[in-house]
Amino acid sequence: MAAVVRLMRRSDWLGVPAVLLVLGMFAWPVVSFLAKSVTDPHVGLQNFVSVATDSVYAKVLSNTVVISATTTIFTLLLGYPVAYTIARASGRRRRLMIFVVLIPFWTSLLVRTFSWMILLQPHGVINSLLLASGLIEHPLELIFNRTGLFIAMVQMQLPFLIFPLFNVLSKIDDAYMRASANLGASPFTTFWRVYFPLSMPGIVAGSMLVFVTSLGYFVTPALLGGLRDMMVAQLIDEQVADIGTWGVPAALSVILLCGTAMIFLIIKRATGATRKGARR
Amino acid sequence: MKDEMDNVPPVRVRSEDAVASIHRRRVLQGVGALAASALLNPLARAQAGRFDGKQLVYVSWGGVYQDFQKKSYCDPFAKETGARIIQDGPVNEAKIRSMVAAGGNPDWNVIDVTDTFLFNGTAHNLFEKLDFSIVNKSMVEPAYVTDYGIGTCAWSYNVAYNTKAFGVGKGPKTWADLFDVKRFPGKRMFRNRVYATLEIALLADGVEPSKLYPLDVNRALKKLDTIKDHITWWTTPSQSQQLIVDGAVSCGVIQNGRAYDASRKGAPIAIEWAQNLQSVDYLVILKGTKNLDVAMHLVNRSIQPDAQAMFSNNTAYSPVNPAAFSRIDKAISPWLATQKDNVAKGVILNAAWWQDKLEALDASWNAWRLS
Repeated sequence: MAAVVRLMRRSDWLGVPAVLLVLGMFAWPVVSFLAKSVTDPHVGLQNFVSVATDSVYAKVLSNTVVISATTTIFTLLLGYPVAYTIARASGRRRRLMIFVVLIPFWTSLLVRTFSWMILLQPHGVINSLLLASGLIEHPLELIFNRTGLFIAMVQMQLPFLIFPLFNVLSKIDDAYMRASANLGASPFTTFWRVYFPLSMPGIVAGSMLVFVTSLGYFVTPALLGGLRDMMVAQLIDEQVADIGTWGVPAALSVILLCGTAMIFLIIKRATGATRKGARR
Repeated sequence: MKDEMDNVPPVRVRSEDAVASIHRRRVLQGVGALAASALLNPLARAQAGRFDGKQLVYVSWGGVYQDFQKKSYCDPFAKETGARIIQDGPVNEAKIRSMVAAGGNPDWNVIDVTDTFLFNGTAHNLFEKLDFSIVNKSMVEPAYVTDYGIGTCAWSYNVAYNTKAFGVGKGPKTWADLFDVKRFPGKRMFRNRVYATLEIALLADGVEPSKLYPLDVNRALKKLDTIKDHITWWTTPSQSQQLIVDGAVSCGVIQNGRAYDASRKGAPIAIEWAQNLQSVDYLVILKGTKNLDVAMHLVNRSIQPDAQAMFSNNTAYSPVNPAAFSRIDKAISPWLATQKDNVAKGVILNAAWWQDKLEALDASWNAWRLS
C-alpha cells in the first residue's frame, strides 16, 4: 500500500472517490454475485456441470452469441457508410449528423422497444403503408421473430458503432488517399487497400462495443423476439426472479464474462497483426 | 363529512366519456363511505394520529391496479393513523430477494405478490409471519389465508377475443376453441410462462377440471405443439391488452381485469368465463420491516369491506372479503372472477401444488420453447 501511495502522482488522488465508488457499488456486488457460481447452494462446481450438461443452457448461450454477432454485422454494414459520411462532412453538416445519430440516446430502451412494436406489428405503421401502397397483400411478419429483433437491436446499437468509428475515420489523413490516387490506384483500390485498413481500429472498437453490449440484451428479445429467441439475460432473470436460484445464473454470468474477455483478446491479437500489416 | 369530500382529488370528466363520470361517482361514494366509517367507528377515531411519523413503502404492479390500491387501502389508512405510505413498484421478485439477502430494514415493506411467489418466498424465508391478533383473518375467505400472506384480490385468466375479428358472441368460448385454428383463424396470445399455460393446454385437451392435478406435463406440451406457430406470447399484462386491442391477435388468454380495462376504454374485446382459471394476489410483509406493527395494521385495513369494495368497483378484480359483495356495483359484478356464476364455471389454479415443482417444470418449459 505504501508503495502504491508513493507511486501516485499528486493529481492521481483526484480519481480516488470515483475508484472507491466503483469498487464499493459495482465491483464488490458483482464479485460476490459471481462467487455464488461456486458456493450456491453449496461449495463445488455443480452449477457449471448443470450448464454443461443441460441442452437448454447450450441453446440459450448459442442463441445469445449468434444474435449478438449477427446484430454486429448488420450494424457495421449500416453504420460504416454513416460514419464515413460524417467524417467527410464538416462544420454545420457534421454537427447536424452527429446530433441525429445521438437522438436515440435520449430515449429509454424500453420506450424504443415499444415504439418498434407499434411500427412492426401486423396492423402497425409499416405494414399499413405497404398494404395501402399495394406492394404486399398480406401483412409481413416483422415482429415476434428474429426479423423484428434484429431490426430493433441494430437501430439501438448503431450509435455505439458510429461514434468510435467516426472518431478514427476523422483522423485519417487525406494525404494517404491522394498519394494512392497519384500512384495510379482506382478509387476502389484506394479505399480497399489504404482507407479501409486505416479504419480497422475504429471497426474493431465499434464492433466490440456493439457485440459485448448485445450479449446482455434482455427487454428487447423478450418483447420483440420469438418464443425460441431466448437470450441468456432473460434466462438469468427468470431463474433469479421466478425460481430464486442464484448458483446457475451466476455460473452463466461467469461463462458470459469469460467468453467475452476471450473474444476480446483474440480480436485484439488478430487486429494488432493487421494494423502492423497495414503499416508495412 | 364535507371536509372529507373536499379532499377528493379532482377527476377530469370528459363529456363524451360517460365511464369517467361513473368512476368519479364511485370514487366519491367510496371516500364518503370511508369518511362515514371513520366518524362513526370509535375504534377508528381512537387510532387517529397513532402512527404519526411512521413510514412504510407499499409496492405493487403499477397502473390502475396500484392507483386504486393506494386510494382504497393506503390513503384511508394514512388519514386514519397518520402513517406515511410511500408507493413504489413494479414488484420485482429478484429485487425482493436481494433486499432480504442484504439484511437490515428492507426498502420495501408491504408488497402485493402472486400466489406462486407467495409460496416460493415463504419457502425461502422472505416474509414476516402475519400477526393474526392485528390482521383479522376471519374477514377473508379461508382459502386465501396463509401464515405469511393474506389475499388481497381474486382474478382469473379468461378466453378473450377481438369482436371485430369474430363478432360479439361468435368468438372462441373455451380453451379448446383457442386451439382450433380452422374455426377461429388468426394469431392467438398466451402468457410466456409455464404456470397456468400447462393447465390451459390440459383443459383444452379435455382433461376434467377435478383431475387436472397432478399435471400431465408431456400431454400439455404436446397439445401446445399443435398451435405453437400460431401463438404470440405476451410478457407483461399491458402487452396482452395492446395485442388484442390493436388486432395483432384475434383471440387468446387474458386477465379479467385487463379485459375490463380495455373494454371500459371502448376497445372491441369480449371475454368468456368457461373454465376461467382463478388465482389470488396476496399481501406480504417483507422480512426485517422496521415498523412491523404499522405494516400489520395496513394489511388489516386492506381487507376491510369498504376498502375491498372500492378497489373492486374500480378495477373489476374481486374482493377476498365476502362482506364486500353487498357494495359491488351491478355493472362490475359480471366482470368479477368470484361472482357466483363465474366461480361455478371456474377452475382454481393450485399454487401449492406448483411450489416445489416450479424449477423442474420451468426447465421442461424452456426446453420446449427452444425446441
